[in-house]
Amino acid sequence: MLSFSKRLQKIILLFVTFFKKFGIPFDNQFEMQELSDNVLMLKVKSGDIDKLGLLYERHKKRLFGFFFSMNCDAMTSEDLVQNVFIRMLKYKHTYTGEGSFLAWMFSTARNVNNDHYQKNKRKQNQFDISTVEYKLDDGNEADGKMAKKDEIEELHRALMKLAVDKREVLVLSKLKEMKFSEIGQVLGCSEGTAKVKAHRALKELKVVFKQMQKQ
Amino acid sequence: MKESEFEIKAIAYLKEEISKEDKHEFEVFLNANPAYQEEFDLLAASWRQLAKMESPEPSENMDSLFFEMLNSEIEKGKKKTNGWSGLQALVFNVLRPQLAYGVLLLFIGLGVGYFMKQDDTFQAIEPQSVSSEENQEIHEKLVLTLLEQPSANKRLEGVSEANKISTVDETVINALLKTLNNDANVNVRLASIESLTNYVGNPKVRQGLIQSIPHQKSPIVQVTLANLMLALEEKKSIEPFKQLLKNKELDSTVKKKIESTIASII
Repeated sequence: MLSFSKRLQKIILLFVTFFKKFGIPFDNQFEMQELSDNVLMLKVKSGDIDKLGLLYERHKKRLFGFFFSMNCDAMTSEDLVQNVFIRMLKYKHTYTGEGSFLAWMFSTARNVNNDHYQKNKRKQNQFDISTVEYKLDDGNEADGKMAKKDEIEELHRALMKLAVDKREVLVLSKLKEMKFSEIGQVLGCSEGTAKVKAHRALKELKVVFKQMQKQ
Repeated sequence: MKESEFEIKAIAYLKEEISKEDKHEFEVFLNANPAYQEEFDLLAASWRQLAKMESPEPSENMDSLFFEMLNSEIEKGKKKTNGWSGLQALVFNVLRPQLAYGVLLLFIGLGVGYFMKQDDTFQAIEPQSVSSEENQEIHEKLVLTLLEQPSANKRLEGVSEANKISTVDETVINALLKTLNNDANVNVRLASIESLTNYVGNPKVRQGLIQSIPHQKSPIVQVTLANLMLALEEKKSIEPFKQLLKNKELDSTVKKKIESTIASII
């Protein structure tokens, strides 16, 4: 059974399609901003490809952050973000509008990331943080900024030392918008398992980080 | 609280995905268990560090590449739509008169074909009927030829061939009556009676059968004719039968049969 909100989304989409068929301008920028990711993706599915631009604007930073946290390579992460949207466009017919759009998008992102590293067989733990300039806005003092930068770099290094599946669950858990139920969908496990995985990965990160500080 | 339950609740607490009741219950549990409290504090510190971990901003190049890709996809879509609408416009606007003429010609062709087919049927029937007439003529000639053959078998064959003709000619009837009156073979004469019974509706055949009664010498032929006349209830046959009774050489059994036939017909 579809929930009320999903039914409403489908009804809205039907109305939009109906109005468009009769040449009545329906979608202005304000209304588009109001539309949910699900509705936008269903519009893309129905042939309104330019709506992918809105989805891109909404999620590009999250996706870039995911890829960057996974591989610490800004150039590659940008390419992979592009690949996610290309894949979303290619497999738009498989999108049903049921379930969370974020979960669907991050499942695609996860597959893109895995495919990339399987194809290139590169060292996934390679650390190359210098490629992109950090934009840290807290504090004006150069020392404080540098200290924070060092700490974050250290944390990135610690994260890169974790196994891919552990890194993946931590990076996804870090996203405020993602609930554990959605993380479970992305990882192909239950909500409880996702929580346990996240907890254990966090513990391991703590250990690795401590070890790195000792060295 | 089991270890796995602690793991689940601790991470849910950190991510603020926990109900008020569970949160309170968890805090009470931590206060009561300092070891778990310590473990949780370390975990929370790591969680805070992780939350602080920021990713860099993607470059503008990513945007320009994306929108370039998106625009090219939109253009592709438009081209596909244009191709289809172009085809539709070509068919329904430019080719509309041609299409109309084409359909009209198709219907004319179908109509002509339909009538031509009907004519063909008539033409096909005609040769068939002609050929069946020719066939009958050939058949009749064959009957006449066979009836004139010296061999009794051939003459019998001629009589059986006559049975196959649906509407016989007067010539064939005459030939059969001639056979009945004059043929030397009894079997041939019997066969000719059998054959003539097919045309008893013809007055000439009835007349010929009646006239042949006095000429018959064979008892079996006489009895057959008596049975036939009885079946036809032919009163005109009484006189010929009476003439036959006058014949002294007539078989006694046949005589009785003829007398009973005459009695029955009267």
